[in-house]
Amino acid sequence: MNTVIEVNALAKSFGSKHALSDVNFRIEQGSTVALVGPNGAGKTTLFSIICGYLKPDHGTVNILGHNPRSAPLFSKLSALPQDAQLDPKFSVEKQLSFFAQLQGMDKKAALADTQRVLELVDLSQVAQSKTSELSHGMRKRVCIAQALLGSPEVVLLDEATAGLDPKNAKAIRNLIASLKGQITFILSSHDLSELERLCDTVLYLEQGKLSSHQSDLHQTQPGSFITLQMLNLSDDMHQKIAQLTGVLAVKQTQSDELVIEYTKQPEPLDLSLLSLIHENQWTYKQIVNGRTLENQLFVD
Amino acid sequence: MNLNRTWLYSQFELTRLFATKRGWLAVTAFSLVWFMVLRYPIYNAVPFINSPEFEGFVSQLAGTVGLYSLVSWPEAELAIFWVIALFTFPMFSVFVTADQTVEDRNRGTVRFLTLRSTRFELLLGRFMGQVFILAVLIGLVCIATLIMMGIRDSGLVSSGLTKTLAIWAKLLITCLPFIALMSLLNLLTNSARMSIVFAILFFTIIASVITYVGDVYPMFSFLNFAIPGHHIGDITGWQSDAHFSLLVPIFQTVALLGAGQFILRERDL
Repeated sequence: MNTVIEVNALAKSFGSKHALSDVNFRIEQGSTVALVGPNGAGKTTLFSIICGYLKPDHGTVNILGHNPRSAPLFSKLSALPQDAQLDPKFSVEKQLSFFAQLQGMDKKAALADTQRVLELVDLSQVAQSKTSELSHGMRKRVCIAQALLGSPEVVLLDEATAGLDPKNAKAIRNLIASLKGQITFILSSHDLSELERLCDTVLYLEQGKLSSHQSDLHQTQPGSFITLQMLNLSDDMHQKIAQLTGVLAVKQTQSDELVIEYTKQPEPLDLSLLSLIHENQWTYKQIVNGRTLENQLFVD
Repeated sequence: MNLNRTWLYSQFELTRLFATKRGWLAVTAFSLVWFMVLRYPIYNAVPFINSPEFEGFVSQLAGTVGLYSLVSWPEAELAIFWVIALFTFPMFSVFVTADQTVEDRNRGTVRFLTLRSTRFELLLGRFMGQVFILAVLIGLVCIATLIMMGIRDSGLVSSGLTKTLAIWAKLLITCLPFIALMSLLNLLTNSARMSIVFAILFFTIIASVITYVGDVYPMFSFLNFAIPGHHIGDITGWQSDAHFSLLVPIFQTVALLGAGQFILRERDL
């Protein structure tokens, strides 16, 4: 696989605050990467450096073989910057087609591509509207649409679904999922379940440092963890599950959630677990093969 | 630098003025103001300047302020327009071009743009767009003045046409450093309004200090060349040896845009 982004020893400070320090990672072509971390962890700073909005104090960033801000990246790297707005005085179509023209399309192709990306975010009906006439969610979707103009190879989306209603957030997630593989996505979000569904790699930033870099998020080792969410979870359930053959440890991570660590046995644990639930007439909400992203990041 | 992208930015600026309601309102207000200037001060001054009774007085007065050659123009409308426009258009351009990049920067719109072009293309494209806008506005007033003169005496139109073109070009060149100054101030302030305030402070306090220092210490008089509009006194009287003075605003423009490019390259967006 080709490396599309390589970051080495990246550091950035704002006054005495270290926003990023010694950040190193590589992102492979076609992967969908989650950038996770608490508020103020340095996610937006990292996005801004990759996009060329900020200059790092130290370290290097290489995107598709080029430095940020390089002309060869102009139609290959696109982004949804956090809080960036389009000009409220012009129509959506005028601005997006202008962006497309800047990317090298002629006027006709730019208008056609504008229509295409607006259809992707289900907003073709607002092409002639000024952005000041749109709701917050619509403006956000238009900004996502501009990131898909042309044929970008790398797309950075900073809090893409924040502020969207559930239906549109789901539509955006579906859109990203449908483009996975063709485009390398880097997504920042506080919605871990969203990232879990979309991403195969996680970069966890904390206080400006990359504290975790997990690849192959969904490739769980056979016979390692099962996450079980139960209705009316009780100590009795906890104990009975712990007695199943092969179970090494059972940890309660939430009021209704158990993470079961086990070793591989002749009889698969998920079948034993479902039998146990059925025999005791318990009700389960969800069974996840492996640990949730939240548990991987925040539970020992 | 990609000229196509720079040209696209310039074109977009033109649509900002001529394809938006707000832009047309500004053009209408501008036209009305100049209609009043042409209709009253200029239209009424022409008979006075051309009158044989006042010829001696006008010539003496014009000679005192270095405008003797202008009084001898048969195209009196153009002569008066030239003097008024030379002192008003530079200041007008400061206000008209006050928002080149600053509001887009505040809104974050430049983040979309700088993923698709270099920062210098944005800076230069916006600057060129403002120059085109000024060129159109100055051109409109020049044509209106020419028409007014043609109504008085159609025989003057052909000779006036050359002068009109020269006035248009000299006015535009004079305005260039003022537009470039606003390009630069847009990078140093956080709003178009603050850019105007800084421009006013520059032309009052800093320009006065520079002039004073140049007067007291002649070795520093070269600093006067840093003030946009410094050459205006040299070209007002349409002196035949003043062509070199028109290089001053061009050099100032290049220097201001160069400073803008350096600041924009280094600053965070």
